[in-house]
Amino acid sequence: MKATPVILALLAVATHAAEPPTAEETAFFEKHIRPMLVEKCYDCHSAKAEKIKGGLTLDTRDGLRRGGDNGQVVIPGDAEKSALITAIRYQDSDLAMPPKKAGGKLPDAVIRDFEQWVKMGAPDPRTGSAPPIAKKYDTSAAKNWWAFQPPKASAPPTVKDAAWPRGDIDHFVLAALEEKGLSPVGDADKATLLRRVYFDLTGLPPSPDELRAFLTDQSPAAFEKIVDRLLASPRFGEHWGRHWLDVARYAESSGRDVNVTFPNAWRYRDYVVAALNEDKPFDRFAQEQLAGDLLPAADARQRAEQLVATGFLAVGAKSLNETNPRQFAVDLADEQADSVGQAFLGLTVGCARCHDHKFDPVSQRDYTALAGIFLSTDTRFGTPGGVQGRNLSRLVELPAEARVPIVAAPMAAEKFKGKTARMEDLSAQLAKILADRAPNNPNRERNMQGGMNAFDIVRLFTQKAELEAELSNYESDGRPKALTMGVADKPLTATTTRRGPSRGQRTSGFEIIGDSPLFGRGDIAKAGDPVPRGMPALLATAPEIPPDTSGRLQLAQWLTSPGNPLTSRVIVNRAWHWLFGRGLVASTDNFGTTGERPSHPELLDSLAKRFTADGWSLKRLIRQIVLSRTYQLAATHDDARFAADPENALLWRHSPRRLDAESIRDAMLAASGSLDLKPPVSLIAKAGDGPVGGPRNNVITDEQASQAMHNGRSLYLPAARSVPPEALSVFDLPDASAVRGAREVTNVPAQSLFLMNSEFVTQQSGRLAARVLAAYPGDAAAHFDERFAHACWLTLGRAPEAAETAAAKALLARKPATAWPAIARGLFTSAPFRMNR
Amino acid sequence: MNSPLCSHITPIFTRRDALRLMGGGFGWLAFSGLAARAASPLAPKPVHHPARAKRVIFLCMRGAPSHVDTLDYKPKLNADSGKPGPRPGTRLLGSTFKFTQHGASGQWMSELFPALAKKADELCVVRSMQTDLPAHPQAYLKLHTGSSQFVRPSLGAWSLYGLGSLNENLPGFVSITPPGGFGGVQNYGSAFLPAIYQGTRIGTDGRAIAGADVANLRPRQSGDEQRAELDFAQAVNRAQLARDRVNPEIEGAIESLELAFRMQTELPGVMNLDRESVATKQLYGIGNPTTEDFGRKCLLARQLVEAGVRFVEVTHGNWDHHFNLNANLRSSAAAVDTPLHGLLTDLAARGLLKDTLVVWTGEFGRTPHAEGSEGRDHNVGAFSLWMAGGGVKPGLSYGASDDYGYEAVEGKVPIVDLHATMLHLLGLDHERLTFRHAGRDFRLTDTKGNVVREICA
Repeated sequence: MKATPVILALLAVATHAAEPPTAEETAFFEKHIRPMLVEKCYDCHSAKAEKIKGGLTLDTRDGLRRGGDNGQVVIPGDAEKSALITAIRYQDSDLAMPPKKAGGKLPDAVIRDFEQWVKMGAPDPRTGSAPPIAKKYDTSAAKNWWAFQPPKASAPPTVKDAAWPRGDIDHFVLAALEEKGLSPVGDADKATLLRRVYFDLTGLPPSPDELRAFLTDQSPAAFEKIVDRLLASPRFGEHWGRHWLDVARYAESSGRDVNVTFPNAWRYRDYVVAALNEDKPFDRFAQEQLAGDLLPAADARQRAEQLVATGFLAVGAKSLNETNPRQFAVDLADEQADSVGQAFLGLTVGCARCHDHKFDPVSQRDYTALAGIFLSTDTRFGTPGGVQGRNLSRLVELPAEARVPIVAAPMAAEKFKGKTARMEDLSAQLAKILADRAPNNPNRERNMQGGMNAFDIVRLFTQKAELEAELSNYESDGRPKALTMGVADKPLTATTTRRGPSRGQRTSGFEIIGDSPLFGRGDIAKAGDPVPRGMPALLATAPEIPPDTSGRLQLAQWLTSPGNPLTSRVIVNRAWHWLFGRGLVASTDNFGTTGERPSHPELLDSLAKRFTADGWSLKRLIRQIVLSRTYQLAATHDDARFAADPENALLWRHSPRRLDAESIRDAMLAASGSLDLKPPVSLIAKAGDGPVGGPRNNVITDEQASQAMHNGRSLYLPAARSVPPEALSVFDLPDASAVRGAREVTNVPAQSLFLMNSEFVTQQSGRLAARVLAAYPGDAAAHFDERFAHACWLTLGRAPEAAETAAAKALLARKPATAWPAIARGLFTSAPFRMNR
Repeated sequence: MNSPLCSHITPIFTRRDALRLMGGGFGWLAFSGLAARAASPLAPKPVHHPARAKRVIFLCMRGAPSHVDTLDYKPKLNADSGKPGPRPGTRLLGSTFKFTQHGASGQWMSELFPALAKKADELCVVRSMQTDLPAHPQAYLKLHTGSSQFVRPSLGAWSLYGLGSLNENLPGFVSITPPGGFGGVQNYGSAFLPAIYQGTRIGTDGRAIAGADVANLRPRQSGDEQRAELDFAQAVNRAQLARDRVNPEIEGAIESLELAFRMQTELPGVMNLDRESVATKQLYGIGNPTTEDFGRKCLLARQLVEAGVRFVEVTHGNWDHHFNLNANLRSSAAAVDTPLHGLLTDLAARGLLKDTLVVWTGEFGRTPHAEGSEGRDHNVGAFSLWMAGGGVKPGLSYGASDDYGYEAVEGKVPIVDLHATMLHLLGLDHERLTFRHAGRDFRLTDTKGNVVREICA
C-alpha cells in the first residue's frame, strides 16, 4: 500500500488545481507567505535566480507544486510530509532552509504561518508557468559515447611507409602518425630493448650474462625467443599479478579506522599470480573472482581455487568501527559495486549511489540494482572484532581434499581445550554482567555501581572476541583449518541465529537474498522502494537474475559476454598502459564521458576484438604488442615531433618511464645479488588476527610492516593498509583504497632521501660493492674498469660512458676504501637506474 | 634555458596539466623554460581572495578534551550534578574545576589553564562545535580529512596544494607525532592529490619528540663524502641528459636530488632547539618535566612555520578521559598549558601571530553525564575549540551549547564549516579549491560548508 500517500497527494493537487483559492485564502497567502518567499527564497528558487538551486522554483504556483530534484516540496494538507516545512524547521541538517547566509532559520511565528498554509491546502493565487528546468544531469547524449558502442573490427589502414610496419598494430600507429605528418623515430638498440622487455614482462632486469647472450645472438628470432621465455617464466605472473592486485585494491589489512590484519588475503594474491602464469582466460578470471563459489568445479582443488578467487570481493578497505551494522552492510556493498564497476567496466558507478550519475548514463536505479547483488552476498573477510572492530565475519572454509598450504601451526589439543574453557568462562561472565545490567533488572542501578568499570567490560568482550576468532581457525583436535577470504550467497530465508556483530544484537536488515531499496541521497535512513537486482541497462541486454541467487554469476557472465562493449576494451587498454606507461585511453579506470577519448580508437577496438576471439588470452595479447615495431621504438627525443605531440599520445617514440616501486626494489636486490626468488610466507599470515601497528595489542608493529626487509620479491612484502613498506610507498605504491589501473609517478625529495640515506639502500650498496669486488679480486684500486663496467651492467644494463667512468674514478681517487659502496649507491641513486626507456 | 618550445607550450598549460606532466614532482617546466620557482608544484600560488593567515599551526588534542571542564562553563550542570541526566540511565556530573572570566573580553575558562588564560583576549573560543560520530577513528578522520567514510586528502594537504610552500627547501606540511591508529597516515596523507602535498611526519604519538626525526634525513657519512657520492650520481644523470638532450624526468631527478640534499642540510638546523635562548625554552616550559615534551613540540612548530612551512600539526594525547577525570584531565592540561601560552607569546613577539592561524581542538567533546563514578564518555553534539592569530576575532566567544553541554544550540559549527573557515582565512574559497579525480572535481568540503564569517576579523 506504499503508493497510497502519493496517490492522495496527487489527488490533493488535482483537487486544488481545479479550485481557485478563496479570497480569504488569497489574503493569507499575500500577507504571510508571498513576502517571505520573495525575501528568503527567490534568490535561489525563482526563474530570475542566477542559478536555480535544487531544480526548485517557488515564484509560481506551478513551480512550487512541481517541486525540485528531490521531488515534491509541498504536500497540500500535510505539513508533516512536506519537505518545505521540514526544511524551514531545520529538522534535517542536509535540508535546512533558508541557509545561514540568507539569515538562517525563520522566526517560529513565520514557520507556524507556513505550517498553517500547507494545512489549508497551500492555496496559491499565482499564475504563470515555471521555467522548464533542464534535467539535472542530462545523460541521453552520453549513450552515444564511444565506449558504450560495441567494438568494431576494421582492417589495418594502409600506410605510406609500407616497409615500416611489422604487423597490424604498427599499421594503425603509423597511419595515425602519418595523418599528422609525423613518422616514428628509430628502433631501440638491443640492450635497451632487452632491459625494457625484461622489466615490462617480469619486473626484473636481465642479468649481464643474459644481456651478453642476447647481444651476440644475431638470429632474426632472437627477440621472439626471449619474449616467449619471459612469458613462460614464473616471474611474469608475479609482475603482471601485481598489476592486477592494484586493480583489485589488494591489501592484507582492513585499513581506514581500526586497521586489523587480513591473515588470509595472501591466498588471493597467490591465486592472481598463478592465474596470470597459467594464462587463465580473462573472462574466466573475471567470472571466478566475482562468482567462483557459484561455478561448477571438477574437483576439490578447482573448488578451492575458485573460492579463493572470490577474495576479490572481500579484500577491500572497511570501516570496521562503524557502529551501525546497516550502514556497514550498505557501505560494503557500495565498495564492491564501485570496485567491480571500475575494475571491469572502467565506470565510476559509485557516483550514482546518492544521485543519478552526473555524466554517465548510470542512474541511481542502475546503481541500486547492482548494489542489491552485493547486499545479497555474504562477504567473508574474517577479522577478530574486539575493542573497535565492531563488524566481523566468518571466513570461507576450503575443502580439506584440496590440500592447500596452511600457514598456522597446529595447536596442541590440550591448548585448544584450555582456550575453549577460557572462552566459555568469559562468555558466562559477560552473560552475567549483561543480565545484571539489563534495563529490566530491578537491581540494575546497584549492579552498575559496583564491580567492573566500562573499560574492564570492554576488555572482556575483546578477549572473548579474540579467543573466538582464534578458535574458529582450528578444528577441535587443534588442526588449523584451511580458510580464505571470499564470498557466498546469503540464504534465501533467515535461518537460525547467525554470528552477528560482536557487540549488541543489532543486525543489518540484509540477512537474506533480496533487492536493495533506493536510498534517498544514499542515506540509509531514507530507504525508498526496492529496485530489482540487475545490471546497468545501457550497456547490453542484461540477463534475468533468478530470485534464489544473488546475481553475481549473471553479473560475471554479463560482464564477459560478447555484447559487453567495455570489459575487453578496459583490460586490453590496461595491458597497453602497463607496457607503454600510457593507455590508448589515458584514463585507464574511467571510460565514462569524463574520461579521455582513445588516441587510436580503431586499434583499441581491433585489439579488443582479437583478444576476445583469441580466448581472452593476456599472454597472446602481450606477445602481440611487444613484438610490434611500435613497442620496440627508441626513446629518443626529437624537437619537431615533440612540438607536435608532447605527450607522445601518437607513439612517435617509446616514452621513457620510471620503474614501479616493486621493480626498483627488486632490481636493487637483483643487482646486489641478494634477490631470493622463493616466495616467502606472508608476514601478516604469520602474525595472525589483530591490529596493525598503533600503540596497543598489535600483532605486527609499524616497524615490522614498513621496514620488513626480507630479500624476496617486493610483491611478497607485507601489504598492510596505512603502513606500507617504506621502500615501496616512497615510490608511489597505491594505498589500495580504490581500483588503481594506473599508478601515480611522482618525483619528490622523500625518494632522494630514501636513496641517499636509508638502511635498505645502504645495505644493497654494500652488497653490490662486495659483489663487484669479488668478481675481480684485488685491492680497492685494482681492476677499476672491469669492476665499474660490471657495476654498470648490473644496474644500468649497459656499458659505462666516459663521463661516468671519469666521475667514478674521481670518487675512487678521493677515498679508495669507501669508494665502491659509494659508487654502488651513486648508481642506485641515479635516475637511469630507475628509468625504463 | 631558451627552448624554442616554451613560447607555445606555456600558455596552453594549466597548473593541473603541469602537475600531471610533471607527475607531481619537478622537472617539466624547468625544461620548458619557465623559472624553476614557477615550475614547482610547491611554488606559492595566487589566493582566491586576500588571505588573513599565511600559515597554520593545528594543535590536535587526541582523545577529545572535555569541553564542560575546560572552555564551556555550565553552571546549571554543576547545580544539577548527581541528578538523573536527560538521557535514560545517566547521572549528570558537574565540573569540579572552577571557572572564571578572564581578560577584558571576559572569556570563561576553567582553572585548568592558568597560563593560557592570560591570553584570553587573544583567543576566539567556539563553544558550538559539532561532529557526527562518537568514535575516535571516524571523528579523527573527519576532523582531518572531512570524511570518515572515504579516503580523502587531509586538511594540511589541501592547504599546501592551494597555497604552495614558502620555503622549497623544506617540506610544506609537517605533522608532529601523529597517531599511528585513528586513521594513521590518512590524517596527514594526500590521497588523490599529488604525493608532494602529503605531510612529512616527525616522531610518533606516544613517544617523546626529543630525538625524533624526519625519515632518512640524516646522512650516514660525512657531508663531504656524501657530496662526492652525489656528484657521481649527478654525473650519471647528466651523462644521460646529454645523450637525450631533452629529458624532463632526468632533469626532475637532478633537481629532486639537490633539493633533498639542501633539505637534509637545512631542516636539521630549523629543527635544532639548541639554537633557542634559555628564556625562549623556559617560555615553552622546556626544562620542566611536566611541560617538556609538548613544549618542545610547540617550539618546533614555531621554528618550522618561521622557516616557511605552510601547515604544521602538533598532536597531544591522550585526552580520552573515561575515568579518573579529575586527575587525568588535570595532568593533560598541565602538560600543555604553559607551552600554549609560550607559543602564542613567542609567535606574537616575532610578529608571526598576526598571520599564523593557531587552532586548538579535539575530535569531539565529552558527555555532561558521568561514565562510571568519575569519567565522561564521547559527545558529538557539542564541543569547544579555540583559535588565535591570523584573521580570527580575538577575545570573541562564539556559539553556545545547551545548559548542560550536550548539543550546540547557537551558531552551530560542523566540522565542514570549520574547514571552510580555515581555508577562507588562508585566502582560499572552499568551493573553488578543487582537484579533478576519477572524473569529477573534489573539494575538502565536498558539497557543503559555510564560512563562519562571525569569527573572522
